[in-house]
Amino acid sequence: MAENFQHPFQGIQFVKRKNGASKDVLVASAGANLYSYAVESGQRLSVWPQDGADIATVNDTGSKLEHEGPPEKKRKVDSSENATKTAPAKKAAIWSHIPILASTPDGEYVVALTGEDKCIRVFQIEEDGSFQQLSARPMPKRPCSITFMDENDILIGDKFGDVYSMPLIPSATPRAVPRAPGQIKPRQPAATNLTVHTQRNLKSLEMQQQQLADKVNKAKDEDKPTFEHQLLLGHVSLLTDVAFVSLPSPDPSSARKRGYILSADRDEHIRVSRGPPQAHVIENYCLGHSSFISKLCVPQWAPEYLISGGGDPHLLVWNWVASQILQKVPLVAPTPEPKDVAVRGIWASSLSLDNSHPIHLVLVALEGNPTLQSFTLGPDGALTPHNTIKTTSNILDVQIRPEINTVLISVDCIREPGSTEDWQSAPASSSTLLEAYCLKQGNGTLEWEPVTDALINSVNAAGTSNVASDAEQKAKTALNNSLYGLENLRKAFREEDAGSVL
Amino acid sequence: MGAAAKRQKREEFRKKIAAATAETARDGSACPVGSVLNLPQKKYYRQRAHANPFSDHMLSYPLSPAHMDWATHFPVYVNPDPTQTNASGARKLLKEVEVVDIGCGFGGLLVGLAPVLPDTLMVGMEIRIQVAEYLTNRIHALRHQQHNLLLHKTPSSTPATPEPLREQTPPAAPSTPDSPSETSFPTSVIPGGYNNITALRANTMKFFPNFFARHQLSKIFICFPDPHFKARKHKARIVSETLNAEYAYALRPGGLLYTITDVEEYHYWILRHFGYQGPQDGEGGEGNEDQAGHGGVEGLFERLTQEELDGDECVRVMMDSTEEGKKVTRNKGNKYVAVFRRREDPAWPL
Repeated sequence: MAENFQHPFQGIQFVKRKNGASKDVLVASAGANLYSYAVESGQRLSVWPQDGADIATVNDTGSKLEHEGPPEKKRKVDSSENATKTAPAKKAAIWSHIPILASTPDGEYVVALTGEDKCIRVFQIEEDGSFQQLSARPMPKRPCSITFMDENDILIGDKFGDVYSMPLIPSATPRAVPRAPGQIKPRQPAATNLTVHTQRNLKSLEMQQQQLADKVNKAKDEDKPTFEHQLLLGHVSLLTDVAFVSLPSPDPSSARKRGYILSADRDEHIRVSRGPPQAHVIENYCLGHSSFISKLCVPQWAPEYLISGGGDPHLLVWNWVASQILQKVPLVAPTPEPKDVAVRGIWASSLSLDNSHPIHLVLVALEGNPTLQSFTLGPDGALTPHNTIKTTSNILDVQIRPEINTVLISVDCIREPGSTEDWQSAPASSSTLLEAYCLKQGNGTLEWEPVTDALINSVNAAGTSNVASDAEQKAKTALNNSLYGLENLRKAFREEDAGSVL
Repeated sequence: MGAAAKRQKREEFRKKIAAATAETARDGSACPVGSVLNLPQKKYYRQRAHANPFSDHMLSYPLSPAHMDWATHFPVYVNPDPTQTNASGARKLLKEVEVVDIGCGFGGLLVGLAPVLPDTLMVGMEIRIQVAEYLTNRIHALRHQQHNLLLHKTPSSTPATPEPLREQTPPAAPSTPDSPSETSFPTSVIPGGYNNITALRANTMKFFPNFFARHQLSKIFICFPDPHFKARKHKARIVSETLNAEYAYALRPGGLLYTITDVEEYHYWILRHFGYQGPQDGEGGEGNEDQAGHGGVEGLFERLTQEELDGDECVRVMMDSTEEGKKVTRNKGNKYVAVFRRREDPAWPL
């Protein structure tokens, strides 16, 4: 045991139960698995996928759905993947990590994205904390963000810049297959001898037409996603985060709230579109970042404000309806040689200490950094910095528990603090996966005090799954990349391009 | 000629042009005796016909429309009040840019439109760096030529031309275009003097909203777009439902979006992505391959009728003046035109 690292928690998520009987659950993803813990005791309730038989059933349903799903990008691993699926004995390694974990606002369902197969999986957490997979929907492109709209519809932004909505629970009847009734016609080449002129192009056109003639007899169905999904909007860029916000209508006679979709991309844009069914109406753009954007945060208590961060060494606070920058908040002390930083996460919650007025807390973590910065958001949208929280290692995910004024932090127990690449020389005797800090009212400023409760102790003691500390460099790099991908969003210009004019 | 020699010759030529352009720009408009600013030659600016719109390139684009420095593009239209500056400190213009040619290529449309809309500021955007450079030089040479023509005639005889705000320089040497240019200089004074057109290098699929604010534009032209024949390249097409939402954002209600293509299938693609169904059993129909008809962007545009097109001078210019349009005519190809009018935004659902 001592020779091995433990997979750190990539995502943690409290699942609050509204129906009184069931107890709150902490869901966490580490490596290829999901874990659930009882919040009071920290006792591990369940692991998904379970060893052995359960995997087979999960993958059976998965593969069935996958078969109906959109055409997958042709990858070399395809054949081997199918092989593992058909052989249920082995622990399937279809995905190695679970990059996105989210829960519906009502706490009924947990949605997870499994890495390599790009499957959106919806789970119900049972009474006993076990995972019941309700659906697995493979997406055509890798989703980068999952959030929820009214009525729990899932909103997905993907790597190709498209934003889709789909119902949380797919309807029992698959979508009526193709929109255009009748058979799918074999594709005619769009080019004609009127539009291509060079000898070689004409020749290839001739060949295409020949191929088409051969194909007519064996017309095959194109596999398209059969589950219900709707393309709402698209950027020609890589989407990084998507948020859905409802604002009360400015028209006092209308009780209906107005929904907005905020979508951020790698090319420094934040687009404000109307919510469905008018997602094609762009209300405005929030332009002000000079590097990629990685996170959007709209506080629940003040939905008129937006805090955005990314590859810039500062946050921007917006009045997003008016696309107006309210404040530029530095994240690093100015140094002569600025180091690239990227915002890993922004979390906001409203806490209250000894029944005084509420504290509107905003927490910010940088990629590969063990410091959690804390701010309070004033009623005028001004962010005020407070004491930071120093954890023992890089911060991966944060959950705020307003009931007990505590912040739960998942830390990277494998890499050296401050590095996204260098592994610790040897695993600690007992891995620290979670840390908790309690808010204390200081002298005009907020102070943080480390706490260890039953939850922390038993989760850390139970550990997750093992990572060999003597893994090969290639395996290490793959693991590093699955946890830390933000720097890949930064633009690097090729020499040849930079050498030319402009 | 070897490839290296060719490249060297190109570079030399372009350097020479750049130097001449810089010189004339520096000393106002006066042209040194004996040196005439020639039109650039296309052969030195050829570039592969396709560019990857998804790649980062090395683009320069403003942080937001309020940061765009248009003053260097339209020196004649700069606001004479030097205190009028925008968010990046650049001088403001007397009027806004309101016509855009997306994928302007070598600029046939802009040069053709310049006298048709002499008081409207127009910009051509092109992703291929050398082509954009060609067009910039071409426009500069055309302006220069017009300026010289004006000085020879009495400047007051052309009231349509906005008076240059720079100081008037003494008449320059007679300009005798002896260049082997492929487009001969117009020998008459053109309304606007080409001061109302400009070109810049940009990837409009990514950065259109960085240049133009909401409802800023009155016309957008998309002429003979790269057809991207392969189905897996269709995402790179410049017309798509998701991009149409961006065009709608920049177009003012009542504004027009012009499209022309020689590829029949692409024409039906355009119609579908603006919410107009092509022929049901159409040659170009490809089932539900694309996501058309989903986002509801069709509510933002209505197609113009044939009568409206016949009465529009811009359509004629688009058919006949663009380089690609001439080529299609030479090859006896078909041209498919579709023009859409921007509707008002729908009301919020109550």
